[in-house]
Amino acid sequence: MAYIKAVGLVRVGRYFDRSYKDLALEAIEKALSDGGRPGYVVVSSMMAESALKQLDIGSVLTEWLGMTPVPAIRVEAGENSGLAAVEVGAAIAEATGKEVLVVGVEKGTEYPTTKTYGDYSHILEWETETVRNVRPPDLAALAMEEYMRRYGVSREELTAWPVKMHRNAARVPHAQLRFEIRADAVPAATKISGSLTLLDMFPIGDGAAAILVSKERGDSPIQVAGAYASTGLRYYLRDDPLHLAATAEALQKALKLTGGEQAIEIHDSYSIYAYLILESAGLAPKGRAPAEVDGMEWVNVSGGLKARGHPFGATGVYQVAELFTLMTDGLGGRTYTGEWGVAHGMSGHDGNARVVVLRRV
Amino acid sequence: MRPERRAGIVSWGTYIPPRRLRAAEIAQLWGFAPEVPKGLWIEEKAVAAVDEDTVTMGWYAARSAIRRAGIDPSQIEAVFVGTESKPYAVKPSATIIGDALGVNTRKLATDMEFACRAGGEGIRFGIALVASGQARYALAIGADTAQANPGDVLEFTAASGAAAYIVGPAEEAAAEFEGVVTYVTDTPDFWRREGSRYPGHGEIFTGDPAYFHHIMSSVKLLMTELGLGPEDFDYAVFHQPNGKFPLKVGKRLGFPKEKILPGIVTPWLGNTYNGSALIGLAKVLERAEPGQRILVATFGSGAGSDAFSIIVKKGIKERVKKAPTVEELLQSKVYISYGEYAKHRRILHRNVGG
Repeated sequence: MAYIKAVGLVRVGRYFDRSYKDLALEAIEKALSDGGRPGYVVVSSMMAESALKQLDIGSVLTEWLGMTPVPAIRVEAGENSGLAAVEVGAAIAEATGKEVLVVGVEKGTEYPTTKTYGDYSHILEWETETVRNVRPPDLAALAMEEYMRRYGVSREELTAWPVKMHRNAARVPHAQLRFEIRADAVPAATKISGSLTLLDMFPIGDGAAAILVSKERGDSPIQVAGAYASTGLRYYLRDDPLHLAATAEALQKALKLTGGEQAIEIHDSYSIYAYLILESAGLAPKGRAPAEVDGMEWVNVSGGLKARGHPFGATGVYQVAELFTLMTDGLGGRTYTGEWGVAHGMSGHDGNARVVVLRRV
Repeated sequence: MRPERRAGIVSWGTYIPPRRLRAAEIAQLWGFAPEVPKGLWIEEKAVAAVDEDTVTMGWYAARSAIRRAGIDPSQIEAVFVGTESKPYAVKPSATIIGDALGVNTRKLATDMEFACRAGGEGIRFGIALVASGQARYALAIGADTAQANPGDVLEFTAASGAAAYIVGPAEEAAAEFEGVVTYVTDTPDFWRREGSRYPGHGEIFTGDPAYFHHIMSSVKLLMTELGLGPEDFDYAVFHQPNGKFPLKVGKRLGFPKEKILPGIVTPWLGNTYNGSALIGLAKVLERAEPGQRILVATFGSGAGSDAFSIIVKKGIKERVKKAPTVEELLQSKVYISYGEYAKHRRILHRNVGG
């Protein structure tokens, strides 16, 4: 088992005047401010090739940080690259006994949104989906229509999630959208696809997060107690688009470990996915999640992808760093004193799902 | 002493082509949500006809300015045309306008390009010439038939119009310059490559690092140099790429809405690029009282901003009446369809003459 020694976060935002290296350095400096000697660097970036024009970004970043000859590797699993990097980093720490620095970094605002969205759409399958101009929000919008139809849930009822996320993010210093929104603003916002609007989705942003993972416990209070991953079918091959099978597979294993008592961060790239994740994992009855999210105190305290932001490949590292903070120093004025923290991520419509479980020791 | 205090605005004139295209029609055609133009605060935009361009519009505006000044055009010794849509890539617009108006042949004449702020820089050049005794009067024009890629969000606002200012000795002026500051950096927020029909832009990058940073920098510099604050100005006019930005930048600088709204023209006119802030200033001059102080801040992508402090003088009211006012030009309009707009702005390509 690996332990989390330290974390560092940069406020998610638009950094027109800073390179990805600057953002990564800020996160790493925070993570290593109490010492720490990484013997391995794992870098997560979803758009290293397209936005940063950089392959082998692990080595480039490690060199720039003055850490040569420490070995480095980049991990990519679409939108879920961050949690994949944590999973890989923890495994390397356990296998080698080295301290591993896991860095998630992304610059979503490096290019105009048409290019960023185009590149982001490559998380779907190019040959069957992307090439036909299907983009991630289109799938979310389809699922949203089906959800409203099947359960008789109104468009208005689906606003509970974004309203809650903005309320949470308003208290989180590193969140991108630190303001509250009114429920009636959600359906009235700019249409993205079908009835899905701008306020149902994450903002594009830049960010970097770092965690230091070690096999030795030292004085670390938090252990990486489990990492579960699964893959799912393309949207059009699913029997039920409202059941996120990969997410269910990974999350249910984690929840068995925690006994269902945990602080959890879920991958709410689009509001509808928050409901589907909760329902697929069994944390809310089918069709009931919109009515129940208000009562869920320890779900996405960070403000989630919706309002903390979604710097793609960095997001999973943010989630783990946030849970660590929530369970130790406190996040957004709240401290979780329970035993378990669960970070869930997925790519696209549940194309892959990963869960990292933290445990207080 | 600040040399610009020796110069002032002797007169001004504007031109707004009468054709208007509603933003709602653009939204409907390209599938934008109706909230998009509302979010920009743009209702309709002025469209130059197929036989109008920067030269014809600039000439109209300048003719109004000459009428307001009551001067003989042969006394004008400099013509500057600030535009990013000159009809000829090579061949000055300033010479065509100058000769058509009967301006002295012993003159400086040049076209200037700095996205939307070259017209403002033309005024600065005019001030320098007048204050140094090298010209009695200088004519500075800001005019554009702004281009936008069909279907781009820019198309809601890219419009046509012109403003002309005659800069002359302070003692003859309707409004005096009190101070001017220009702030310029290399900030690539908006551009059009040689040979490209339509400009490209950096979306949100055109906001904070470009428009807001440059206008706020020039205005703060000006206020520091003059020892003035927002409370000392009666009006504040900013470059208006849409209706929302000038209100936002004014708020950040500490100007109340009431001081900004009188100079807002873009929601009913569109963004006339080099004409934008200068038509807004004309609208304010047409209602201002002697003794009032006006702040004007231009903005051009690339990027830069000129901030002017202007004090209105006695006698301005008589000059207002001598030519059409901005308000009158805004009211004089006829609505056209997107199809007619496409024809007039040459968005439709056809072979003529086999």
